[in-house]
Amino acid sequence: MKKTLAIVFLVFLFAVQFMNSYAIQRFPKPEFESGYVQPETLLPNPRAEMLAILDIAVLIISLSVVSWLVIKKRNRNAVFWMSVFALAYFGFYREGCVCSIGSIQNVTLAIFDTSYLIPLSAIIFFMAPLVYTAFFGRTFCAAVCPFGAIQDLVAFSPQKLGSRLNAVLGVIPYIYLGLAVLYAATGTDFIICRYDPFVGIWRLDASFGMFIFGGILLVVGIFIARPYCRFLCPYGVLLNWTSRFSRKHITITPAECIQCRLCENSCPYDAIEMPVTTKNPEDKGTMARKLIFITILIPILMLAGGWVGSRLHEPLASVNAKVRLAKQILNPVTEKNQPETFEIEAFKSAGKQQSQAFAEASVVLHKFYIGSWILGGFIGLVFGGLIAGRMMTKHRTDYTPNKGTCLSCVRCVDYCPVKLPK
Amino acid sequence: MQNRRDFLNMLCRGSILTGLAATTGILVYRSVKGGNCELGSSCTNCGKSDSCDLPEASLFRQTVWQLDPSKCIQCGRCAENCVMSPSAVKVTHVYAMCGYCDLCGGYLKPDTKNISTAAENQLCPTAAIKRKFVEDPFYQYTIDEPLCIGCAKCVKGCGAFGNGSLQLQVRHDRCVNCNECAIARDCPADAFSRVPANKPYLLQGIEAKPEERI
Amino acid sequence: MKQKIIIISAIILLLTLVAFMVKDFFFSKPDNTNPYKFELDDLRKGDTAKAVFTETLQFKTGLEEIHGIAIDLENQIYVAGKEGVEIFNSAGKTLYKINTRSTPQSISVNGNGYILLGIQDHIEIWNRDGKQIARWNSCGPEAVITSIAVQGNNVFAADAGQKVVYRYDKQGKLLNKIGLKDPATSVPGFIIPSPYFDLGISKDGNLWVVNPGRHSFEKYTFDGALLISWSKASMAMEGFCGCCNPSNFAFLNDSLFVTSEKGIERVKIYNTDGTFMAIVATPYQFEAGTKGLDLAVDKQNRILVLDPVKKLIRIFQQK
Repeated sequence: MKKTLAIVFLVFLFAVQFMNSYAIQRFPKPEFESGYVQPETLLPNPRAEMLAILDIAVLIISLSVVSWLVIKKRNRNAVFWMSVFALAYFGFYREGCVCSIGSIQNVTLAIFDTSYLIPLSAIIFFMAPLVYTAFFGRTFCAAVCPFGAIQDLVAFSPQKLGSRLNAVLGVIPYIYLGLAVLYAATGTDFIICRYDPFVGIWRLDASFGMFIFGGILLVVGIFIARPYCRFLCPYGVLLNWTSRFSRKHITITPAECIQCRLCENSCPYDAIEMPVTTKNPEDKGTMARKLIFITILIPILMLAGGWVGSRLHEPLASVNAKVRLAKQILNPVTEKNQPETFEIEAFKSAGKQQSQAFAEASVVLHKFYIGSWILGGFIGLVFGGLIAGRMMTKHRTDYTPNKGTCLSCVRCVDYCPVKLPK
Repeated sequence: MQNRRDFLNMLCRGSILTGLAATTGILVYRSVKGGNCELGSSCTNCGKSDSCDLPEASLFRQTVWQLDPSKCIQCGRCAENCVMSPSAVKVTHVYAMCGYCDLCGGYLKPDTKNISTAAENQLCPTAAIKRKFVEDPFYQYTIDEPLCIGCAKCVKGCGAFGNGSLQLQVRHDRCVNCNECAIARDCPADAFSRVPANKPYLLQGIEAKPEERI
Repeated sequence: MKQKIIIISAIILLLTLVAFMVKDFFFSKPDNTNPYKFELDDLRKGDTAKAVFTETLQFKTGLEEIHGIAIDLENQIYVAGKEGVEIFNSAGKTLYKINTRSTPQSISVNGNGYILLGIQDHIEIWNRDGKQIARWNSCGPEAVITSIAVQGNNVFAADAGQKVVYRYDKQGKLLNKIGLKDPATSVPGFIIPSPYFDLGISKDGNLWVVNPGRHSFEKYTFDGALLISWSKASMAMEGFCGCCNPSNFAFLNDSLFVTSEKGIERVKIYNTDGTFMAIVATPYQFEAGTKGLDLAVDKQNRILVLDPVKKLIRIFQQK
């Protein structure tokens, strides 16, 4: 009984305390006598969530239609009009968000940060093109991706770059992908979205720098067809590798290749592989030596890359907001007449402890240490693969599209004189 | 030879597809099971996220960007960094918190000599705040939204001298909901976050009541 | 040849873009200038010719929070704060310490050494030995007593919650209410948007009440008739800034008003008709965001400022 009384008393005391602080913080509202009615604060709603389902539906239907047009119909005209539609819908209507390229980062962040809840549309925009590619080749690139569509429109005078240049420039997307994953996984930044060249064009509104960036890329695109897709696009890396194992893929000729060489210059993306007729096939010994060299080289490159990467983890992490804040706390601006940075001002007004900021930064730094080992190793692997690819010659008899780099645009089909009887 | 290559191809394709399916599965599983209840301020941390009937707990909410006015330091970057021009961040007036003051710290320049609606007295660089007499000594202040550029000057003034009824918010009729918000990236106070689309505002002092959905 | 030039220049352009991305990402610094900065610095300075006061002494109290300050006839300093009152001599040396259990928001002392404390919605009377003498009835559930003053047999209490001033007799009997809006007697009514509401008795025995929402001082008879008022609304140094100021005031011995403000933290002196006379303390002397600078004036005309953020009693004297 006494105990209960004591508890009741304590609760009462607590209640009184609560009331005290409440009363002091309260702001008595003005008392209007003229019958004035206080207006409501108007808060417009965001885009209805149901429309996200529409986006997903349009994506799936576009992928299906384009795949059918590419594989079955082999109709360049129809594919072209589908790409115009993609430009209109995913580009100008949806203003480029969310796109499959950027969704890499959403998926990465969702994997590494459990508190980030990924919207369904981001998952599907990431997965669906890859699944379709696994069956039909890069039909997504052909006419569903608005990035590809806009660059395809300006490719007036595509020049051949040669296989060496293609291979070297083709490394950039791998590095871009690696960095994008590193920065998304550490919750630092979405660099693919940050340097999205065409988003300003979709919105018809952007900073000067963004317009210039997109404009230059389009100018380059007149001579080097689809420069973003081939030499920057990180999603293209994933599509490239998936497409290599695709179940079906566009072929230049519907039947037997007659080696007429008419298609040789038809591909604006240098994705047609010439027949390789090795007069003197390499003997077993040379092959074996090359193979051993590569199997030793790749691990060495990966280790070296990882080590270099780990040396660079601090500069890589320096763009992270938490690391930047910790740095600013450690080295406050000492120059004369320099006001303190907004970050420091915000940190002070939030009333956080310095030790807390340092602890958060060191957690991020550790993530970057591991991440940059992996990133370096990955880049080492890419270079190793590049060397291996150049060393190994493949025997080929026909003109075939390279399953990795072919964007399934169906241009080459029109050049092939072989027609199937209707 | 041909068969072996086909088989290898199939194997690789199979593992790619399995990997994709597994990733999707994990993400979906997490969305269904994990921490859904952390969304939204109405979560009571009951721990029973499976049976939660709050709207936030439903699957795969779309998210939108919003800023927390209690963290905002009015640095002016919202006006500068948005991909839209003018910015999608604008000041929102929470009438329920307003003191209807005559000498309004958010409306008048601090060095104003006499209180009037004259342009040289107005704090707002675009004159987007309108002042209307209600009754002695109260004045109503309304935001002319198309004019507002989201510079937060009035927010600072209102916070310093008044009740803090002027607050910056991402206005969702203008925000294009970039995958990564350019302001969020540069916000020094880390005030931006992705919030569930059915609770798109983070105003202080009132329960946000969005307009009826169309 | 032409083709080669085209390819090379296109590739250089492409690589320039990549270089630009790298530079922008790793080497660009966020801009730390705010073109829309809210400038208060000019107002903070004010006219240096009028800054004729200087801080001569400051001392800490043993209380965790401090809310109110008062001076008795013997020039002793009473500070009310968290769960207690501390009494100092004029040099800042602790004489007594009283535990009042609850936390007073306002304090006043009468000639007999009794301490009147405004505790939330009611008044309590204590003596120096830490004994509670009386506990008056609550003024209502919404009451917040923010100021108390004693004059002869009258005790006045300002209630920010219900926007009214009470007049009691010494036994705690409510005699009348002052300042309720009444168009017939042209009493305007108190506008109190935040819980700062002060009153005081001038040397000549008049009741003055701050009407913070109107930035004015109002002089009342003890029966509640409004005699005169003056107001001074301005962000500039010569006026009262923000929505509701001054937050506190005290009378200098020659009947000048010493006022304190929040928003722009400053302590100033006005004469009886509201002419701005002098600056006691500028905003630079306080932490930004300091609210509730309670004031008192002692026999030597020293101005005592209670700084609740730095938790100091700060004494200002004419240069």
